[in-house]
Amino acid sequence: MFIRTSEPNSSLESFRADVRAFMAKELPEETRRKQTLGQHIERDEYAAWLRRLGSRGWLTGKWPKEHGGLGWGPDEFAVFGEELGRANAPPVVPFGPTMVGPVIYSFGTEEQKAKYLPGIIKHETWWCQGYSEPGAGSDLANLQTRAVRDGDDYIVNGQKIWTSFAHWADMMFCLVRTDPDVKKQEGISFLLIDMNTPGITVRPIIGITKGHHLNEVFFEDVRVPVANLIGEENKGWTYAKFLLGNERVGVVDVGKFERYIEGLRQLLNDTKENGEPLSKDPDMRQRVAGLEVSFETIKALMADQLAAAQRDGSPPLIGAAALKVRSSEFQQAALQTIMDVFGRHGMVYQTDALHPGFNGDVVGPDEMAGFIYEHLYRRAATIYGGSTEVQKNIIARGALGL
Amino acid sequence: MPQFSSDERQLLHDSVQDFFANQYSFEQFRELSAASHESGFSQDAWRQYGELGWLGVAAPETVGGTGAGLTELAIIMAGAGSALAMEPLLSSTVLAGGALELVASPDQSHHLDTVISGERVWAFCHAEPDGGYAREYVTCLATESSEGYVLDGKKTFALHAQAADQLIVTARLGDANGPVSLFVVPSNSEGLSRHAAPSLDERRGASLMLDGVSVSADAMLGQAGHDQTEAVNAVLDRGVLAVCAEACGAMTAVTEQTVEYLKVRKQFGQPLAKFQVLQHRLVDMNVSCEEARAATHAALTAADNNEPNARTKIWRAKVQVGRSARYVGSQAVQLHGGMGMTDELAIGHYYKRLSMCESLFGDADWYLRQLANRLD
Repeated sequence: MFIRTSEPNSSLESFRADVRAFMAKELPEETRRKQTLGQHIERDEYAAWLRRLGSRGWLTGKWPKEHGGLGWGPDEFAVFGEELGRANAPPVVPFGPTMVGPVIYSFGTEEQKAKYLPGIIKHETWWCQGYSEPGAGSDLANLQTRAVRDGDDYIVNGQKIWTSFAHWADMMFCLVRTDPDVKKQEGISFLLIDMNTPGITVRPIIGITKGHHLNEVFFEDVRVPVANLIGEENKGWTYAKFLLGNERVGVVDVGKFERYIEGLRQLLNDTKENGEPLSKDPDMRQRVAGLEVSFETIKALMADQLAAAQRDGSPPLIGAAALKVRSSEFQQAALQTIMDVFGRHGMVYQTDALHPGFNGDVVGPDEMAGFIYEHLYRRAATIYGGSTEVQKNIIARGALGL
Repeated sequence: MPQFSSDERQLLHDSVQDFFANQYSFEQFRELSAASHESGFSQDAWRQYGELGWLGVAAPETVGGTGAGLTELAIIMAGAGSALAMEPLLSSTVLAGGALELVASPDQSHHLDTVISGERVWAFCHAEPDGGYAREYVTCLATESSEGYVLDGKKTFALHAQAADQLIVTARLGDANGPVSLFVVPSNSEGLSRHAAPSLDERRGASLMLDGVSVSADAMLGQAGHDQTEAVNAVLDRGVLAVCAEACGAMTAVTEQTVEYLKVRKQFGQPLAKFQVLQHRLVDMNVSCEEARAATHAALTAADNNEPNARTKIWRAKVQVGRSARYVGSQAVQLHGGMGMTDELAIGHYYKRLSMCESLFGDADWYLRQLANRLD
């Protein structure tokens, strides 16, 4: 208890200053404006921003140097994420840099590394994740998308769902069933699929936000070269677990959470009740104080886990589960408080104000549409990335021996 | 207020449930909520509500209503909530109907006729941008003129105000300390601008700007110079009861749908309904629905019987319903997993409707503060 704190790292603060300066200088004004209002960023604009980050190697800063990364430790990675969030810059799309990239450099052939890694480092390739299926959500191992060997190819048939950015993607990393006759986890392979291959259909899924980033992806007799298989056939579940371990590492968007609280405080100042700013209302003040307590606890959890990661070389999986549960709940609580302020403005949701090029007037505060979008979107924070229920099972089994 | 007997209420409830179950599908809601839809509600359903007598169920028999009470109105609102109905029942029937019933003088009774028949859609615009949920914050001004009155000021976004033919607007007569008065403002009045927008739950409404809006003397409801604060409070309380009932209907429907979904959805080799954690969650949703219903029912009874503490019960009901709605709405989405986050399924739409119900006329925290302030 209370034993280990992170090693102090003086170069960390100069790195932070470097990132902060980059954000101030390199984030285009137009993108910054859209982000402030919560307006949708289109593919080309997003890709251009990611390429800028890629030009500094910052998309893949955490990768080992031998694979083209900068060899960041968990604290550099955390600082980078914080400053990105603080600047309200479009976040790094994780599918290439955090997910398939490490799988490729850990389990791929030299040819595969040479072919795919540079595109991830520079964001020349847009990746998406073909995991979930209608029958395989929390029970991912239940996936049924079938890949049958035919000469030098696999023929893929099936369907993926909740595929973020499939409509923009060049490549998909896909979990497929290559052996239906063994235990579920032992018949899965990890396949890289070119999204331009004939037989692939992408169907948009509109969310409760009325926005679109998720898709269904249908595969009908899609030919995928065997050269696109990562590692060994039927060992895909191992690679997937490795990837999930990587994905869930203490990643809390500290910068964004700060902006929630700042945004809330600004709205409280600007919104009046009975002629007085809500920032004077004792109930609202108590809620803000409560959110700050939760936020500080989350940061403290992160700090302890970072220290553990430094000691052990890898982050604690159980700690990551707890952090995911609490940070997703915090996110929802902060956004709900913001919504409660919007109730005073009539709870108007002008989705057309979120489309680039919107030229009209908004009813109520400028930031209302963007924050309502965010609130509705983060209703899923306790569902995606492993639902709260699944995370609690992980903790129960892994930490409490239940 | 005269009330239906239990049997009569059961009959009304059955016919309401029947109508919404069979004639108001989710597909209908989808069509009406599309931005491209002209009015955002069903003219046909509105006409049928009128024919069924629903729009006058709580209005006095002397003006052609059924002469029943707020409980009967609540039975209808619960049905509307269960089907995500889009028609302006809240603004026209409940709020404007209530205001006209309580404040209008006998020679102004023709207004209430149009509410009961449904031939005019009404809205009640009271809240103001700097007032928040505070009920007594009125800065809109009515100045006497040769024709009657000139109105100036702003009103916060109100549901259905964009569709209204007639708006009831509150304003202080004469100056900032003048008596709160109610004015009937035709929607095509010069100087009146409506900024139409969609609400969170895909209904529509509008905020108002009144810039030298000229109305005739008889546009003022009731007795000139009389402060209508108490009547406004009574109207808002009717609104509170109506959204409590609407929320009860929506919560019950979404809970039923969630129970059914969990029985069917299989993961890890069995229906999700087999997992005890999820069973208890469904139970909590179910019990929350019951609590909301009971609290609303107690408030309705107190209101219909003109009990002295009716207002306290109404405000407590809003707190209870707010708590229940927040829990039931969010858990309905959570238990549906990714599917609950889609526009395609009804679940997310119930969640958004319940969020609206929570905030209309003040949220649970606000009413809790009002109740706390009233403690001895």
